[in-house]
Amino acid sequence: MPELFLALFLLILLFALLAGGLWVAFSLLVVGMAGMALFTDAPLGSVLATTVWGASNSWSLAALPLFIWMGEILFRSRLSEDMFAGLAPWLTHLPGRLVHVNILGCALFAAVSGSSAATAATIGKMSIPELKRRGYPESLILGSLAGSATLGLLIPPSIILIVYGVATEQSIARLFVAGVLPGVLLIGLFIAYVTAWSFLHPGAIPEEKVEVSLRGKLKGLTLLMPVTLLILGVIGSIYSGIASPTDAAAVGVVLSLGLSAWSGTLNRQNFIEGLLGATKTSCMISFILVGAAFLTVAMGFTGIPKMLAVWIGGMGLSHYTLLAALTVFFIVMGCFLDGISVVVLTTSVIMPMVEQAGIDVLWFGIFVVIVVEMAQITPPVGFNLFVIQGLTGIDILRIAAAALPFFLLLMLGLALISIFPQIVTVLPMMMGG
Amino acid sequence: MRKFLNGLYTLGGWLGAGCIAAICLLVVSQVGLNLIDRIATVTTGHAIGMTIPSYADFTGFLLAAGAFLSLAWTLRQGGHIRVSLVTSHLPNWLQSWVDIWCLAVASAVTAYFTWYTALLVLESWHYHDLSAGMIAVPLWIPQFFMFFGLLILTVALIDDFVLSVTGHLPVSSRKAGTEDVTGNEEGI
Repeated sequence: MPELFLALFLLILLFALLAGGLWVAFSLLVVGMAGMALFTDAPLGSVLATTVWGASNSWSLAALPLFIWMGEILFRSRLSEDMFAGLAPWLTHLPGRLVHVNILGCALFAAVSGSSAATAATIGKMSIPELKRRGYPESLILGSLAGSATLGLLIPPSIILIVYGVATEQSIARLFVAGVLPGVLLIGLFIAYVTAWSFLHPGAIPEEKVEVSLRGKLKGLTLLMPVTLLILGVIGSIYSGIASPTDAAAVGVVLSLGLSAWSGTLNRQNFIEGLLGATKTSCMISFILVGAAFLTVAMGFTGIPKMLAVWIGGMGLSHYTLLAALTVFFIVMGCFLDGISVVVLTTSVIMPMVEQAGIDVLWFGIFVVIVVEMAQITPPVGFNLFVIQGLTGIDILRIAAAALPFFLLLMLGLALISIFPQIVTVLPMMMGG
Repeated sequence: MRKFLNGLYTLGGWLGAGCIAAICLLVVSQVGLNLIDRIATVTTGHAIGMTIPSYADFTGFLLAAGAFLSLAWTLRQGGHIRVSLVTSHLPNWLQSWVDIWCLAVASAVTAYFTWYTALLVLESWHYHDLSAGMIAVPLWIPQFFMFFGLLILTVALIDDFVLSVTGHLPVSSRKAGTEDVTGNEEGI
C-alpha cells in the first residue's frame, strides 16, 4: 500500500520541518510540493501559482484584516477601563464578585474582536492588577481570565472561523451565527463554576466595602453602551442578512475609530500602530492560508485524504468514538501548534473523512474551534498562557494549572454540543438573508 | 544598498497597510451607498441602484496585493509564525545552523514560487485574461502585485540568509520568541 507510506512520509516531513523552526506557511508549502513532486506528474509550479492566486483574492477573506484591525483599534482605546468600571457595580453582589468581570468582560470583548490572545491582553491589562489589589485569589483571577479569553475564538467575529469558512467554502456568516449559542453556553458554565467555587470557599473572595448606589449602576450602564451598540451593530447586521461579514467588519472599523476618537484615545500614533499591527497579523494568517490552500490541492492530487476517509469509514466507528478520537488528536496537536495551523491542517487532510462520516461541516467548525480554545490554555504552546505570562511574569505552568478547571469546562461544553448539536445549528437555520 | 533594501521592505509594509485601509474605505463606501438606496426605496418607492462597479473584485485584488506586498516586512518584524519550542532550547551555535537551514529552504521555495508567479503574470498578459466583473480588469495587473510581493520576500530571505551565513543573527529571528502583549503576532 504505497499511499500509506506516502502519507506517513509526508506527516513525518511536516513535523520535522515544523519542529526544525521553519515558518508554518513554508512548512505547508514544502510538504505540498514534496507530495506533488514525488508522487504525481502534475505541473507543480503552475498549480502552485494558480492555486495561491485563486485563494488569495477573495471577497469573503477581506473580513479577516478588517476584523483584526477593529480589534487593534479597540485594544488601544479606553474600552477595557470602561468595561471594568461599567461591569463592576453590577457584579459585586454575586458570589465570586469581581471575578465575573473577567468572564463577562472577555465575553463582551470577544464579541468585538476575533482573537483570544487580544482578548486576554485587553481585559487582563485592566483586571489582573485591579483584582490583585483587592485581594482576590490569584489562581481564580488567572484561570478565569485564561479560560474566558478563549471565547474570543468562538464568539463572532472570529478570525479562526473566517479561516475555517474560507478553507472549507462554508458561509462565514452562518459560521459566525452558529458560534453564538455555544459561546453563551460556555459563559454560563464559567459563571456557574466561579459561583459554585465561591460558595465552597467562603472567605476566599474579599468583601467589597463600597455600597453601590443605583446611580452608580446606571452610570456603569452608560459606560457599557458604546460597546453594546457596536456588538449589536456587527452581529445583528450579519444575523439579519443586511450585511455580509466583510461589510460588517468595515463598518465595525469605522465605528471603532469613532469610539476611540470619542473617548479621546485616537491619535496619529495609535492609528498607525493599529493599522500596521493589523497588516502584520493578517499578512501572517493570509500566508498560512495560501500555504494551506496549496497543500489541500496537492493532497487532492496524492489521494491521501480520500484514502484516509475510506480507511476510517471501513472501521465502522460510531459518531462519538470518532469525535473522541479526533478530540484527543487535536488536543495533542494543539499542545505544539497554534490554532490557525491546526485548523488549516484539519481542513487540508481530514475534511473528506469528516464528511464521509456524515458529520455536518458547519457543526464541525464550531467543534474544532472549541478544541482549539482548549489548546490555547494547554502548555507548552498555549497562546493565552503566553499573553498572561507577558502581563504578569508568572510561569506558564502555574497559569496552566490555574486554567485547568476552565479546560475541563470547555471539555464539558464540547460534550454538550456533541450530544445536543442543535445548540450549534438552531440559530443558523433560523437566520435571515 | 542596506538603506535601499530596508526602504524596500518598509515600503512593502506601508503599501500593505494602505491596501487594508483602502479595502475598508471601499467597503464602507459601498455600504453607505446601499444605505442611501434603502432609504430611497422606503421614501420614493424605488431604488436608485447605486453600486461601485465590481467592488467585490477590487476588494479581493486589494486583499491579495496587501498580503503579498507586506510579506517581507512581516518577516523582518518576526511576524510569521514558527514553532520555537525545540529550537529555542538549542545551544547558540546550533541555533545559527537552524537559522541557516530555515532561510535556505525558505529562499529556495520563494524563488521557485516567484518564478512561476512571473510565468502566471506573463500568461495572463499574453492571453489578455480579464476579471469577470462589470469592469473587466486585465488580470496581470493585480497578479503583478502578488509577483512583486514575492520578489521582495525572496530578496529579504536571501538578504537574511547571507547575514546568517556570515555569522550574524538574521533579522527574522531577532524578534521571534519575544511575546508581544498586544496579541499582535501570536495566537489567534
